[in-house]
Amino acid sequence: MTEDRVSNPYALLRAEAINKNFGAVVALQDVSLQIPKGEITGLVGDNGAGKSTLIKIISGVLTPDSGSIEFEGRSASFDSPAEARAQGIETVYQDLALVGNLAVWANVYLGRELTTGPKFLHLLDKRAMLSNTGDMLKRFIRNVPPIGESVELLSGGQRQVVAIARAGAWGSKLILMDEPTAALGIAETKAVEDVIFELKRQGLTILVISHNLDQIFRITSGVWVLRRGRVIGYRETMKTRPDEIVSMITGATTSSGNGS
Amino acid sequence: MTLMARRWSGSFALARRHGVFLVFILLVAFMFVSKPTFGTYQNLTNVVQQNSIIGIIACGMTFAIILGGFDLSVGSVTALASVVGATLMIDLGTFGIPIGIVGAVVSCLLVGVTNGWLIAYLGVNPFVATLGTMTVVRGLIYVATNASPRFGVPYSFTTLGLGRLLGIPNPAILFLLVALLLGFVLHRTRFGHYVYAVGGNSLASAQMGVNAARVRFAVYVLVSACAAVSGIILIGQTASATPQAALGYELTAIAAVIVGGASLGGGRGRMGGTIVGVFLLGVVANGLNLFGVSPFWQPVATGLILIVAVAFDGYSKHGGFASG
Repeated sequence: MTEDRVSNPYALLRAEAINKNFGAVVALQDVSLQIPKGEITGLVGDNGAGKSTLIKIISGVLTPDSGSIEFEGRSASFDSPAEARAQGIETVYQDLALVGNLAVWANVYLGRELTTGPKFLHLLDKRAMLSNTGDMLKRFIRNVPPIGESVELLSGGQRQVVAIARAGAWGSKLILMDEPTAALGIAETKAVEDVIFELKRQGLTILVISHNLDQIFRITSGVWVLRRGRVIGYRETMKTRPDEIVSMITGATTSSGNGS
Repeated sequence: MTLMARRWSGSFALARRHGVFLVFILLVAFMFVSKPTFGTYQNLTNVVQQNSIIGIIACGMTFAIILGGFDLSVGSVTALASVVGATLMIDLGTFGIPIGIVGAVVSCLLVGVTNGWLIAYLGVNPFVATLGTMTVVRGLIYVATNASPRFGVPYSFTTLGLGRLLGIPNPAILFLLVALLLGFVLHRTRFGHYVYAVGGNSLASAQMGVNAARVRFAVYVLVSACAAVSGIILIGQTASATPQAALGYELTAIAAVIVGGASLGGGRGRMGGTIVGVFLLGVVANGLNLFGVSPFWQPVATGLILIVAVAFDGYSKHGGFASG
């Protein structure tokens, strides 16, 4: 019912019949969906619909009870976020993404530090990291925040922009975002969305969870709707309207009529 | 955050970083002027000698505090090194000294491994874990020694604690070496960088692939290693196994690190600050002594300095964050 509505013939990621229970609670039931390559795809649903659980399974934080995931046409099951990251799947979380007391460059290079000198010493090559960070961020950000500044001195929007650009700078193929602008003002939201567009322009694929339907309609080309752990359907953003998505989220029947 | 606010909190951070150093310089200048005996070679080497043992412990403690924890067991561990090391030196004769040193280090590392394992892998709160090992280790020392000291460490070993090289007390040279080495590790290596990262936000660090548990584990082993060095120097100063040694050192060391600019919240602190903190407390104690104030006032002074430093830290942090 839904598969044929995906306009892009090539799915970067394909989830098949994913089930996940937490004790007696069914978090995901028979979830199958595709994420088209090179597009910004939305993932919406009410609280408890299973959006975050799904993102955690894709990014390797959780393992599904059953079902399979295919990434770039190959079977992929990730046991840890590090494995998913190694394959090119990066997650940008709401607030926890950056270490506040570290400078921007140190956050961009966190876990991937450049070292110099004798190998066993792991001496930090601060100079190289400082000079590279600017170029890495400039690929996606127009106004790069001061590289040497502690992240906690940046605004929330600047922080989120750095976190997202970091994911892009490290050559990720798929970036998962959980409410990337939930806590931001209008201007900051726009700055973050600009970075998301820039990632797409440079060929990256993005899956974004958002409660903000305006935003979904602004930035995505298609949107998956979950309700109570099930996939309700996929809609191309151009061919649907907010009230249809709302009714899919809440389960209220409308003229557009949808299954399950 | 506006530019003004950033400048303001920036200058606050600057004052914070150099404020303690400035206070220290003023204090030393004041002492030089008001008490001629302060500046004598005898007195200055005394101050350095007395504070080296606590200083070495504080160097290790700096890592634990930047990590967002602390280690209350260091005093007991120092005493453990003193008792295990000295006992072996007294009883073994010929190879007693090297075996004693190895035994002291190994027994202390066992405590460090226990602390690290509890905190890093079992998720026990550092306060609870190290309070537990502090009490258990001190208790075991008392059980094993009947709480009485033993004398008879070979006289040659006192060179370590009481000897001098080019006029500088040997403990001070060891303190300098430990401070330089650990300062290098903290500020130049990836491991030190990870201590700041995990102390600042361990969840975000772990998400980016930093092995936060391993960093925590290593830090608590490192703190115990520092306590072992201090305990061995203590043998060199007392030539005895002293079960009551180093009582309360954990709090003095934590105070020195905090006065030196580290924050108990984690992510903040520098090795240079810790060294200034150690000597600030040391010079105050020495000054009270030289002015003939009862030694009972010394903890009062230490406590007041600590409170002022922490209050200043909270104030500057509030200023920095409230506008962010």
